[in-house]
Amino acid sequence: MDIHSISITLGLSLKVAAWATALNLLLGVGVGFLLARGRFPGRALLDTVLTLPMVMPPTVLGYYLLVVFGRQGALGGWLQSQFGINLIFTWQGAVIAAALVAFPLVFKPARAAFEAVDGQLEQAARVLGISECGIFFRVTLPLAWRGILAGLLLGFARAMGEFGATLMVAGSIPGQTQTLSIAIYEAVQAGQDDSANTLVWLTSLVCILVLLAAGRLAPGRIAHQHAQ
Amino acid sequence: MTISHEDALMQLDIDIDTTLHSGKRSFRLRMQFASDSRRIVILGPSGAGKSLTLKAIAGLMTPASGHIRLAGRTLFDAAAGINLTPQQRNVAYLFQDYALFPHLTVRQNVGFGLVRGWRNPGLDQPHAAVDYWLQQFDLQHLAQQFPDQISGGQRQRTALARALAARPGALLLDEPFAALDRALRVTLRRELDQLQCRLALPMILITHDPDDAIWFGGHVLKLCDGRLDEAELDAVKDQR
Amino acid sequence: MGYTTMCKWMIAALLATASCSVLAGQLLVSAASSLTNAFREAASVYQAQHPGVAVVLNFAASGVLLQQLDKGAPVDVLASADQQTMDLAQQRGLVGARSDFARNSLVVIVPLPQANPGQLALRRLADLGQGGITRVAIGNPTIVPAGRYAHHALQAAKLDLQTKTIQTQNVRQALDYVARGEVDAGFVYRTDAALMPDKVKVAFEVPQAGAIRYPIAASKHGPNAAEAARFIDFIVSPAGQAIFARHGFLKP
Repeated sequence: MDIHSISITLGLSLKVAAWATALNLLLGVGVGFLLARGRFPGRALLDTVLTLPMVMPPTVLGYYLLVVFGRQGALGGWLQSQFGINLIFTWQGAVIAAALVAFPLVFKPARAAFEAVDGQLEQAARVLGISECGIFFRVTLPLAWRGILAGLLLGFARAMGEFGATLMVAGSIPGQTQTLSIAIYEAVQAGQDDSANTLVWLTSLVCILVLLAAGRLAPGRIAHQHAQ
Repeated sequence: MTISHEDALMQLDIDIDTTLHSGKRSFRLRMQFASDSRRIVILGPSGAGKSLTLKAIAGLMTPASGHIRLAGRTLFDAAAGINLTPQQRNVAYLFQDYALFPHLTVRQNVGFGLVRGWRNPGLDQPHAAVDYWLQQFDLQHLAQQFPDQISGGQRQRTALARALAARPGALLLDEPFAALDRALRVTLRRELDQLQCRLALPMILITHDPDDAIWFGGHVLKLCDGRLDEAELDAVKDQR
Repeated sequence: MGYTTMCKWMIAALLATASCSVLAGQLLVSAASSLTNAFREAASVYQAQHPGVAVVLNFAASGVLLQQLDKGAPVDVLASADQQTMDLAQQRGLVGARSDFARNSLVVIVPLPQANPGQLALRRLADLGQGGITRVAIGNPTIVPAGRYAHHALQAAKLDLQTKTIQTQNVRQALDYVARGEVDAGFVYRTDAALMPDKVKVAFEVPQAGAIRYPIAASKHGPNAAEAARFIDFIVSPAGQAIFARHGFLKP
């Protein structure tokens, strides 16, 4: 693989992982908050079901996605007939696969972060007359954001490395859905060890950088943070 | 000072009955009293239900039945289906450990209730009311500090300033002196006494220390195991 | 159950799994994906005739099988879907003498029933260039012989389908995509198409410069050379050939 192809593949991996993480930011934070604060029957069950993508083999997830979003699938058929959209073999499909696989890594830390926020602070804000939305953005979120961000970074790293589900749903189209992980797989299969080595080093480097950033967000004294 | 017609009306009318369950144990709170005093002290040992009562008045806890009326407004009435949210009750609550927002400066904390909307007050945002209250409690020099950088007494003052800046109709104090050392306690008791006189703001204070009751005066109620002590219900309205 | 007892049980379970791994009389056969059904039957017939021998089958694209063998996998027999892969294997000194055991033909298949009622009929390669055909599944030519055959044919017809090509990891994946209707057409072997008559339909046969012949050879460094030779003899024997004929393969 030449520099040009490698940069395209890297760019694609970053694009897919970024979009998947953005999607998980909205869904993961929302679900994390719901599970942290909500009191409804079946809450524990919902948490378990939403954690499943973390323990299920990615190929199983890929299969489910293919069945649901494929042309003959329930959602896929509807998308095709209503909007003319088909997610299979597209980078958007790769985003969905990566987002699904990384979702538990985002919502679980988000839930823990929200649960760690002192409820009494929210009570204080209530008595001071601030609306529930105001409390979320002014008290809850600022106090929980570090934990949420750490989860997002883990989710990003996972999305970067996603392979099994992506391969089934998005295929391996150079420039469109051939992410770094898939390119490595094919290079190894074809005996192109040099290409494989380069790609492996590159992917490892990106993941290490992401994890280092996540590590710096370990919860510390807020005063310490302000003092700098 | 003369007592004007409006000043005389505190009118706390509370009659609630609620049971809390935690695990196998349950606790029943039955509070029933009315008072026109602007200083009410609820005295009792820990676990008596004092905090619970205060939270019910503030709207942070909803009793199973009964009503709560303050200064002519019905805050809660189970039968009529009225239950104002804490935001609507216009009371101030001073938490036992102050509940200052750790991510905001003293200045931002004090101005918190003055800014509606989804964004916190800015670090340097000029605000006359905030400046006034910082000055009242001698906190100007600490305005840019964070809660974990100031002392216990300063934190209490910040919490008070924050509560009062929002112009409440009444002030609820949850064991305000419990976390302070003796000297500080004496100082702050005096300050609170002077504050109440000056502002003529109705205050309800809960404590386990009888000295607080003596110092603060007013209508003192003894609460024990979720019930008021019957013999003490006819307390003398003693306003200093 | 106490902590210590649980630990003991876990260790015992682990050791139990370890002890079942290596069997005497095991034959590891790597075969191209298109040979899946035929070799499964061949293996079970062979095992019935030779009790005490366990035939372990390993299916993947021919190129992948080559890599595995090259990197030292303990393979006894290699059966690929093209001569090129076997040439490479011999060049690298991985296999010994080879023999052809089957012949196949490449076809273009389309989904059935056709989701798009206005679907254009495909009768020859050039028809794939039409606007209505947006996705065509072809195996990755670097590792999938069927993909390579397809590309040769397209080159010969001076047809460039790069924008429409969905590259698959093996020929069976191409079959699957057509069966699901995810692609408009796919290049597979006639024997693959015959597996899903209710989901795919053969549109036409792809003209090939030469015949598609499958070679089989014993690996030089395999652990069970004697058994490998016996197995290959079975494959090329009339009994073995009958199995392949039943699955739609032609005589080499």
